[in-house]
Amino acid sequence: MTAAHGQPTRSVLACGEVRTCLLPSLPALDGRAATQLLRLRADEHVRVSERPTMYALSPETLTGVDCRLPTSNGTKVRGVGTVVSRAALTEGRLLQSTAYFSVPAAGPDLRRPWGQYLVRPGLVEPFGKLPQQAAAEGALRGAERGELDLGMIAESLLAQLRRHALLDRRVPFKSSPTRLRWVARRIPAGERASLANFTLTEGGLRTMELRLPQDVPVAAAAGLCEDLALHDWLLTTVQHMLDNSRIGAIDGPSVVEALHPVVVHLLHLWMPRAHVDPALGHLWDVLEQKPGFSRQWENLSRRIRDRLALQAVAMPNQALSTR
Amino acid sequence: MLIFAASDKGGTGRSVTSANLAYHRALAGDDVCYLDFDFGSPTAAAVFDVADARQATEDRGLHAYLIGEVSEPARIDVWADTEHQVLRFPPPGCGRLVLMPGDVSGGEFATSDDNLRRCVDLLMTLYYEFDLVVVDLSAGRSYAVDMVLEATAQPEMSEVTARWLVFHRWTRQHVAAAASLVFGKRGIVAGGVDRGHDEEALRGAIRFVRAAVPDPESPLWSQVSPTQSAWMRKTDGDLKQLASTHGIGYSQVLGSVPLEPVLQWREQLITDEDVLDSQIANQETWQALSRLAGRLTDDKYWEQA
Repeated sequence: MTAAHGQPTRSVLACGEVRTCLLPSLPALDGRAATQLLRLRADEHVRVSERPTMYALSPETLTGVDCRLPTSNGTKVRGVGTVVSRAALTEGRLLQSTAYFSVPAAGPDLRRPWGQYLVRPGLVEPFGKLPQQAAAEGALRGAERGELDLGMIAESLLAQLRRHALLDRRVPFKSSPTRLRWVARRIPAGERASLANFTLTEGGLRTMELRLPQDVPVAAAAGLCEDLALHDWLLTTVQHMLDNSRIGAIDGPSVVEALHPVVVHLLHLWMPRAHVDPALGHLWDVLEQKPGFSRQWENLSRRIRDRLALQAVAMPNQALSTR
Repeated sequence: MLIFAASDKGGTGRSVTSANLAYHRALAGDDVCYLDFDFGSPTAAAVFDVADARQATEDRGLHAYLIGEVSEPARIDVWADTEHQVLRFPPPGCGRLVLMPGDVSGGEFATSDDNLRRCVDLLMTLYYEFDLVVVDLSAGRSYAVDMVLEATAQPEMSEVTARWLVFHRWTRQHVAAAASLVFGKRGIVAGGVDRGHDEEALRGAIRFVRAAVPDPESPLWSQVSPTQSAWMRKTDGDLKQLASTHGIGYSQVLGSVPLEPVLQWREQLITDEDVLDSQIANQETWQALSRLAGRLTDDKYWEQA
């Protein structure tokens, strides 16, 4: 990103957080409505692609920050600069917001005028040398009070969008939002990007570490993480719905009712790497190998379809006429 | 659905009863979130027996969130974090039970635009996520009551079903105080109307819960003298009359919770183990709680009389 402004790209680390949730709207938004929703800035367009899935990406907005960076070992590093945030809407149904920034290995010991930070959007400069390992671990652990909190920036963008007048503020079913925190360490240009440690932790938090060649923009990494977060949300949500007793224990038309939202709103959303930068597309293979995202999804969808089929066999008329 | 638990005075069993209702709904398979908006004296951690988890989330509670010190209030997964022997093994198929604690150090505060915004955002987010959200409010006409009245009057919350439970004890003073908390000059209804609520709709969303009600017919009192028994019946009848003249008669009552030593003294969730195995709690209490929990979402009990 800095390269676009004639500055050498010299970040060593990028950190980000993605939040994924269901859009609070009963009807899914079409391309035009999605454009309206995601027009965060008047001077830039919302990017919408219709194939293979409807996907809209907002322009980027900047948040100025001057605060301590989270570190795992308590080292106090002050960072000044700007954090990029953006939002995406998939199939008019799943809303995501991301906040991210890059950090160089070292920065000046003096705070410079804002103008100089603004010409490097998405770059946060440390005062002095950056303890890279501690900063990466700190970013994954999350911010404490007074530290740079990407979750807060992403969440406030999400909250702003969910308040949009375009939405009827109703959800077709209840679901939990998820958070994915990621860090990307920079590796020399030309090397192959890699992914390590995709971890699920409690409370809907996921963490992930990437190695990102210098010639791949951070925005591409953010896009990959959004894509992973979206599919992880789908798995988590559908799994929770299936685990719920009301599907395990009940029978009859209520099964159809309980599974109805999955079939109508979610099953068609599975489309891995549809909008991922080609330089990073192969990282999906890692997750397909282990834990096997698509395998799990196929299994879940099969369970749902089988369950509905059984229901249809048992009660051909009643079950289907209730919907 | 949002449920606001209010009470005229302290000591009505509001917190412990509403926590029990949350527990019953979670057992029945709902995803439930319980918010401790009793800013002066947060007690929910003790009720759910999650003291250690509470320690770990100290100063990241609802109070810190509403005044903007943290981006999200701490969440405690009750099933996972409780030290309660029975709660730790929830039956399969029950829903999530999440506690958002208050802050130990957090006092009351005035409602500003910023913390109102945060309150609305929080309630909306939880509404999208949970089947039932129970909000325990400080006693009396507190800032917590004002804030949620203001929040639910915002246009973005117009689609959200919010219901109020007003807990009061079964005594003359409490009956009068509960009626005044709701219908008085500075009451919930008047305060809500000032903030833009529709009076009819708000009245229709408020029901009373009589707490610690001694049932003269209960076997508990079967040994008392005939004079005592007659007096109890008479007083109970008088109270019913009084409640009715204050506008909180039968049609406005969602249910009663019997006088129960376990609720009064232990202030914890009553589990089926307490009722069936150790038998320290009464079967009637369990049934009353279960009935109340069911009626929270049963529209039949919320139609205008």
